[in-house]
Amino acid sequence: MDNELPSEFDLIVVGTGLTESIISAAASRIGKSVLHIDSNDYYGEQWASFNFKSLHNCTFSNNIKKHTENSSDLLNFNNDSFNIRNFSAEWHVPEKIGIYCKNDDSKNRQIESVINDSLKLEENNENSVFLREEILNNSRKFNIDLMPKLHFARGDFIELLISSNIARYAEYKSVSRILTWLNNQIEAVPCSRSDVFANNKVSVIEKRILMKLLSLVDKNDNTTGKYTILWGNLQWYNSYFLDSKDKTFLEFLKSKKLTTNLIHFVLYAISQGTDSTSCIDGMANTKRFLNSLGRFGKTPFLFSMYGSGETTQAFCRLSAVFGGIFALNQPIAGLKLDNNRVTSLLNGSQEIKAEHFVLNIEKAPVELVNNLKVTDYISRAVLITNRSIMPSEQEHLTLLIYPPEDKGNSVTLIEMGHLTGTCPQNFYLVHLITKQQSNPKDDFKHVVANLFESNYTHLQVDGKPNMLWACYFSIPNTSDLKLNDNDHLNVHLCDGPDLDLDYDYTVKKAKDIFQRIYPDIEFLPRAPDPDEIIFGEEEQSKLNDVCISETPPK
Amino acid sequence: MAKTYDYLFKLLLIGDSGVGKTCVLFRFSEDAFNTTFISTIGIDFKIRTIDLDGKKIKLQIWDTAGQERFRTITTAYYRGAMGIMLVYDITNEKSFENIKNWIRNIEENASADVEKMLLGNKCELEEKRQVSRERGEQLAIEYGIKFIETSAKASIRVEEAFFTLARDIKTKMEKKLKEASNPPKGGHQLRASEPQKKPTSWLSRCTLL
Repeated sequence: MDNELPSEFDLIVVGTGLTESIISAAASRIGKSVLHIDSNDYYGEQWASFNFKSLHNCTFSNNIKKHTENSSDLLNFNNDSFNIRNFSAEWHVPEKIGIYCKNDDSKNRQIESVINDSLKLEENNENSVFLREEILNNSRKFNIDLMPKLHFARGDFIELLISSNIARYAEYKSVSRILTWLNNQIEAVPCSRSDVFANNKVSVIEKRILMKLLSLVDKNDNTTGKYTILWGNLQWYNSYFLDSKDKTFLEFLKSKKLTTNLIHFVLYAISQGTDSTSCIDGMANTKRFLNSLGRFGKTPFLFSMYGSGETTQAFCRLSAVFGGIFALNQPIAGLKLDNNRVTSLLNGSQEIKAEHFVLNIEKAPVELVNNLKVTDYISRAVLITNRSIMPSEQEHLTLLIYPPEDKGNSVTLIEMGHLTGTCPQNFYLVHLITKQQSNPKDDFKHVVANLFESNYTHLQVDGKPNMLWACYFSIPNTSDLKLNDNDHLNVHLCDGPDLDLDYDYTVKKAKDIFQRIYPDIEFLPRAPDPDEIIFGEEEQSKLNDVCISETPPK
Repeated sequence: MAKTYDYLFKLLLIGDSGVGKTCVLFRFSEDAFNTTFISTIGIDFKIRTIDLDGKKIKLQIWDTAGQERFRTITTAYYRGAMGIMLVYDITNEKSFENIKNWIRNIEENASADVEKMLLGNKCELEEKRQVSRERGEQLAIEYGIKFIETSAKASIRVEEAFFTLARDIKTKMEKKLKEASNPPKGGHQLRASEPQKKPTSWLSRCTLL
């Protein structure tokens, strides 16, 4: 196999996060020669999904060795200031807890009873395993997102997937219910007609008030994503809600005489806001929620099966289909400078030239980001549990918005069962996300205490689910940093995941960078279906029309 | 729209660069051979519907898009695959040795019960042969999979290979269907053709209120 990379490209993309992958796909799509390269041996950077063992043992280093050649014209990649930090993982069940399974077939195991005594486990050995072992043995059935995301069914992201034909590379599942924490218990948020009727927490009068408010929000129809709503219709909102412009959404809802319960549903669950969310943001988010209802399922949200990491890979696949060259696990060292312009990438001892460079923030050389300091972090926790937080006959994919407590931030909880392809049968994966206040463990303490049983005494059959394993970490929130204010005009930095529930902001950023590099060229036009491409000697011209040929690398 | 097939199988082609994966794919899907695609560009997957024991089976066969070159096949490539053609080049010893690595890769990423089959391609180049048929057979026995030597160029046994793989998947699937009458539900495939009508939001449906 030829392992030497070609020596010149139009664009070199370093890092395989979502923003870079979208740009890579868009550039390959219009016929640019693209090298997409990473020091990691996996796709996705901080947007990746890991199996159980690789997450449990992850160190989150950059996997970049400092280049020995210490010359002033080399911008080194080994900058660790944007890495994931404070990672800790812990078991919450003793090592020797066994489970007895009635079915020997490892795929269809049903946990029947728990054996606390390892001697008994030996006696029953045919159908018994240790619980920890069961998780470890099923390691690769876990696809644990570093940053799980949901997609609004009519958001900019889903529209892009469909219009660019990238949707064919992934499968989606709709979120089946939205819950919230209200008066010290879990409550379902009414999202559909039947939900509203079935909801006995909302009185008839409240329902009327709710309808009136929501019809008001729903007036202007032709908008999709949050940012198109915000920027495209600012005018409309200004004229409509002039008197509410400087209010918070909470004040606005109060002025519309909403009751406490309704405010809770609308503010925290539907608009995913906090007490300080501005009226305009709250309205835009509510509207986005309503617009996305009824397209693919009962709730407005979709989740990519097998984990959010699949999304980055879908864009990488499109880039590869259109000629992008992919190389992971590479000894990348830094960028070479010539007269203040970056000319090439140093990969091992090979220099590879390009016109433009797109870098993931984790790879950003210190020289390019020395004015930037991360002040915001995203607190994350991942739990493996034995039951759903609200069990029911059919398995659900659940979004729970836990409202802010004591001037804290609201916590987003996503619970996934095995039908999402992210965990094995009999287990649940729970993701917690919030804006960091102190540290991940403390930020989630109240949520974990209220919803889960973290001290093992026995496996719960009813009541709170047992937390079997947990990990905590902080992701730097780089989405508000001014990344591209440096002097090197042909280097473009891409940020990591943000706190938004969805990808719309990321799509916008990727598009902005793409258009800065290639102004006036269409961003991700629809890729042809396979049967539209006709090959053959006499059809060569047609081939050149539809897909982009490239001189083969020497 | 009426469904024009009984089953849809997703198949993958895997193997080193240059063993002729794309040529095998084109021989089977278009009955054509073309040496001009040097590395795989613009080729995503191909579809051919075949008749098998009275059932119409739509085969969706995916190519690696060149991502095998630096061993950067995405984990997403393996999702939902029901059959995998492992391809090596009988005139290239290295490509045969690498089959073991590809099988390890499959075990890490593909579903555990995926059907596999081994293809020794370019069998028309007898004078350049480096890997004997016996070694191919031996390796296939070791992994408990079927083996066929093919030539995409001379159109030798390519058809047979895909039919064999498809039949094995069909047999396995029908057996499974019999065992469990409730197959698990899959996810949504998003399509542009999906009806774009404005959803009746729950607002407009709540006219009673």
